[in-house]
Amino acid sequence: MSQEKFYEEISNAIVNLDEDKVIELANKAINENFNILSVIEEGFGAGIRRVGKLWDEGEFFLPELMRGAKIMQDCLDLLIPHLQSGVERKTLGKVVIATIEGDIHSIGKTIVATMLRAYGFEVFDLGADVPAEKIIDEAIEKNVDIIGVSALLTTTMLGQKKVIEILKKRGISDKFKIILGGAPVTSKWAEECGANGYAGNAVEAVDLAKSLLNI
Amino acid sequence: MLFYDWLKDDSKIILFDGAMGTEIIKRGIKPGKIPDLLNVEHSKIVSEIHKSYYDAGSDMCQTNTFGSSKLNLRRYNLENGIKEINERALENIKNVCPANCLIVGDIGPSGEYRPPVGKASSEQWYSSFFSQMEILEHGVDLWHIETISDIEEMQTAIRAVKAISKKPIIASMTYNKTPRGYFTIMGDSVEKCVQILEQENVDIIGTNCNLGSNEMVGLIKETVKLTNKPILAKPNAGKPKIDENGKPIYEYPIKDFVKDIKDIIDLGAKIVGGCCGTTPQTIKEIRKIINSL
Repeated sequence: MSQEKFYEEISNAIVNLDEDKVIELANKAINENFNILSVIEEGFGAGIRRVGKLWDEGEFFLPELMRGAKIMQDCLDLLIPHLQSGVERKTLGKVVIATIEGDIHSIGKTIVATMLRAYGFEVFDLGADVPAEKIIDEAIEKNVDIIGVSALLTTTMLGQKKVIEILKKRGISDKFKIILGGAPVTSKWAEECGANGYAGNAVEAVDLAKSLLNI
Repeated sequence: MLFYDWLKDDSKIILFDGAMGTEIIKRGIKPGKIPDLLNVEHSKIVSEIHKSYYDAGSDMCQTNTFGSSKLNLRRYNLENGIKEINERALENIKNVCPANCLIVGDIGPSGEYRPPVGKASSEQWYSSFFSQMEILEHGVDLWHIETISDIEEMQTAIRAVKAISKKPIIASMTYNKTPRGYFTIMGDSVEKCVQILEQENVDIIGTNCNLGSNEMVGLIKETVKLTNKPILAKPNAGKPKIDENGKPIYEYPIKDFVKDIKDIIDLGAKIVGGCCGTTPQTIKEIRKIINSL
C-alpha cells in the first residue's frame, strides 16, 4: 500500500470515529516502521482537521467532535514515544488557554483547545474559573506565544479585559498575542479590550492563531 | 386549572416573562457566580424583578431557579444550599404573583454532559433534577424545563418531574442555526426533539435562548409543521455588548424584537416571552401587540 493510501485510510478512520480501526492503524505504523512524524501529520492530523471542518459545517456535533479528539489524543499518546530518534514533533506555537475567573463554562474553550492541538499547537489548558493573574503567570512560565481567554457570561467578560490590563501594567503585553472567545464576545469587544484578535468558533480560532504567528 | 383554560381558549396568547440576569445587573447587583444565590442574599431584588414582569403584563413568570439543580449547584460548591435556594425562590415569586397569574417552576440544564463530552449518567441527571423538583413542587403551577441542548437530558428531566408532579410541563430545547438547519449542540434535530417530546407527552413544546428573535422565526416555522401541540418561543434580544461601565447592553431594538414575536404568534405559537437581554419594557410592548390581536 502506498504511503498516501495509508494516510488516507487513517484519516478516513478518524472521520468515521472508528476507534478500533484507528488504533490498529497506529500500531501498524509502529510495527512496520513508518515515519511516525509523517503518519501523525498527514494521517491523524489530516483526519482530525476534517473532523473540525465537519463540525464547522454543521455536519458533526459536540459528541462527534469530542470523540474524534479523544481518539486523536489516544493515538498521539501511543505514537509519540515511537517517534524516530532525533526527530521532534515541531509545534506551530505554544498556547495557554482558560475560561476566566467567575465563569465555569468550559465546553467552548475545550473545543478550541482541541482544535488547536489537532492543528499542531502545543496547548496548556488551565480549565475554567481561572484568575487573570494565574493565566499570566502560566503564560510566562510556559513561555507561550498566545494567550486565549474565554468567557460565556456578560458579567465575566470584563475579566478578559483585566488580563490585558495586567499585562500592560507589567509591561509585557507585547510578549504575547492575546485572543478572546466565548458566546457573548464580539470582535468589537476584543478591539476595545486591546486584544490581538477574536474568533467566533474553533476553526476560526486556529486560523487566527496561525495568522497572528505568521504561519 | 387556569393554565389548561388558557390552552383551551383559542383566542388566548399566553405571555411569559423576560430575562432575569440582565435585570439583576441593571440594579447594580454583581451577580457573582450564580444568580440563584440572590434568592437568599437579595430576595427583595428578585421579587422586584418578578413584579416588574407581572406588572408589564406577563401571565406567568418563572422562579429564579435556573441553576438550582443538585449537579449545577455542586459546580459552585453550593449543593448544601439546594433547599434554601429553591424555597426562597418560591417565596420571592409568591409574594408578588397577582391573582389570575401563574408561577412557573424553572428548571435549567444540569451543566454536566454525558460521555463523550462529559461524565454525567442518566441516574445522576435524574437524581439532580428530582431533588430540585421535589422542593419546588408545592409552590409552582406548572414547569418549564429550558435551555436544554441534549434531548436525553430533557427526557430524564421530564421523567423526574412526572415522578412527583401532575402539573403541566413545558419542554424547551435550545438550538443553533447550522448550514443544514436547526440543531442542538449535541446534534439533535428539531424533528427528532419534537418527536421525542410528543412521545414523552409534554403539554407544550418550546424553544428558548441562543437564537435571536429573527432567527427564531424560521425555527418556529419548522416546528409548527411537526406538531399539533402548543408551542412556546422565548428568544434572545440579539447579542450583548459591554458599555463603558462594564454593563451588558443589547442593541437589538425592542420594536424589531416585538415584530418578530408578532410573526412567531402569526405562525401559531401559543406562549411567547423573552430570554437573555429582554426586559419588562420588551414584555410591555409584546402585551400591547397581544391585546391588539
